[in-house]
Amino acid sequence: MSFSYVLREGFAGFRRARLSSISSIVAIMLAVLLLGMLARVSFNAFELAQALKQEVEVEVFLQDVDQSRTNSLRSSLEEYEIVETVTYVSKEEAMEEFRREFGPESELLGNVNFLPAKFTVRTTPDAAAAEIVGMVESIRDWRGVDEVVFNQAGLELLEERLNMLIIAGGALTLFIMLTAMVLVFNTIRLTIYAKKNLIKAMKLVGATNNFIKRPFLVEGVLQGLIAGLLASGLVWLIFNYLIPVYLPIAGVLSWPFGRWFYLVGAMLILGIFMGLMGSRWAAKKFIKETSIA
Amino acid sequence: MSDDTVIELRNVTVQFDGKVILDDLDFTLKNGEFCYLIGTTGAGKSSFLKLIYRDLLPNYGDVRVNDFQVPRMPDKQVPMLRRSLGIVFQDFQLLPDRNVYDNVAFALEVTGNKRSFIKQRVLECLSMVGLSHKHSNMPEDLSGGEQQRVVIARALANEPRIMLADEPTGNLDPEASRSIMELLQQINNRGMAILMVTHNYDLVRQFPNRTAKLIDGKMVDVQPESLRTI
Repeated sequence: MSFSYVLREGFAGFRRARLSSISSIVAIMLAVLLLGMLARVSFNAFELAQALKQEVEVEVFLQDVDQSRTNSLRSSLEEYEIVETVTYVSKEEAMEEFRREFGPESELLGNVNFLPAKFTVRTTPDAAAAEIVGMVESIRDWRGVDEVVFNQAGLELLEERLNMLIIAGGALTLFIMLTAMVLVFNTIRLTIYAKKNLIKAMKLVGATNNFIKRPFLVEGVLQGLIAGLLASGLVWLIFNYLIPVYLPIAGVLSWPFGRWFYLVGAMLILGIFMGLMGSRWAAKKFIKETSIA
Repeated sequence: MSDDTVIELRNVTVQFDGKVILDDLDFTLKNGEFCYLIGTTGAGKSSFLKLIYRDLLPNYGDVRVNDFQVPRMPDKQVPMLRRSLGIVFQDFQLLPDRNVYDNVAFALEVTGNKRSFIKQRVLECLSMVGLSHKHSNMPEDLSGGEQQRVVIARALANEPRIMLADEPTGNLDPEASRSIMELLQQINNRGMAILMVTHNYDLVRQFPNRTAKLIDGKMVDVQPESLRTI
C-alpha cells in the first residue's frame, strides 16, 4: 500500500472535482460557523451569568459580640466550601460607608453609630442557590448573629436562566450538528458519486475497498480543514467587525477562555471530523454498492 | 480442477426474479486457450462473465477461477481474484483526467507496486500494445482503437493468467476491430487464456478459435465457420 499514492490521489481528487469539493466545503463551513458562533455567544453568556453570580453577597449582621466571638464566627464561615471570601466590616467602617454613600445628609444623625458590624460573604461562582440557602439557614441560628440577608430571589432567577441557557444551547448545538451532518454526508455522497468511474476502474483492476476509500478520506480531511479555517475566519470577522458595527450594544464578545486558539482549534477539529466521518460513511456505502460492469 | 484449467463452472444456475438465465451450466477454459462466447442479447453472456469476476453469485453450482473458489471466497479476497484477471469492456472505462501512462500505472499503483517497477512495467505494456509514443496523450486525444489498446495495456499490467473481454470491438470500426483482434491473438500466443464475448461473427470467422454459444441457459460449442453474419 503506497502512502504517497493515497496522499497524492487525495489532493488530486480535490483538484479534479472542484465544484463538488466546493459544495462539501461550504456545507461543512456553514455547520462549523454556526456552531462556532453559538459557542462564542454561549460562552460569553455563561461568563456573564457567572460574573453576576459572583456579585451575590451574603451579609451576616452581628450582635454586639467580643473579638474572640467575631474571630470564631469568621472561622466558621470560612469552613464552608462554597465560601470564597469573608470580609469583616466593623461598626465604624459601616458608618463610614454609610456617610460616603449618603453624603452631607448623613450629618443629620450626628455621631450616633447605629449600624451593626457585619461579615460580607462572597460565594464561589459554582455555588448553587440551594447550597447558599442551606448555609444561610444554619448561620441564622448561630450565637452572636443578628440577621442574615441575601438576594435569594435574584440568585434563583439567575440560576434558572442559566440552566435554561445551558439546555437551550445544548439542544440547539445538537440540532445544528445533526442537520449539518446529514447535509454534509449527502453533499460528500454526491461528490463521491461524481467519481463512480474512478471507483469502478479501481475495483476492476483489483484495488481493495480500503485502498479505494483512503484517498476519499484524505480529501474529506482536506475539505474539513479548509472549511474549518474559513469558518474561523468568518467568526473573527463577524465578532470583531460586523457585530460591533451593526449591533454596538453587544460590543466585542471575547473568545472563550480569553484565547482565540481554543475556539479556532475546536472549529478546525470539528471541520476535520465532519469531513472525515462524512467521507468515510459515504465512501464505504458507495464503494460497496458499486458494480464494476 | 486440473492444473491446466483456469476457469471451471460446474452445474451453475443463475436466476433473476424467477427467470432462469444460466441453467445447470458447465464450462471449462484451459490455460492459454482463446474462446469466444456468443449468444443473442439477453442470453446471459454478461452474467456469465460477472460470475467469473464475482460481480454476481450463482444460485447453485460452483465457479473456480485460477485457485479461487469464487462463490465461497470471503469478500476481502475478491480484489485478489480480480488481479488475476485482465478485464476489458466495450466502453473502455479509462479515466479521462489522466494521461495514457497514468491510466496504465494506476492498475499497478492500486496493487501497491513500487514506483520504479511501475514505470518499467507501464512502458513494457504500452510497448506491447504499440502505444509507447503516446504515453503522455490524454484519452480524448486517442482514437477508439487506441483507447481500447490502452485498456488492454492496463489489463496486462498485473500479469494476469486470464483476460476477460466483453465486446472489446463493440465500439470500433472494422479496421480498428481487426487490429484489436490481432493484438489479442498476439497476447494469446504468449500463453494468456482469453475469454471474449462478441457479437461480431465476421471477426470470429477471420480469427477462428474455440467458440461457445449460450442458448437457453446452456453452453454449446459451435464451429466458427457455421456462424452467419448478423
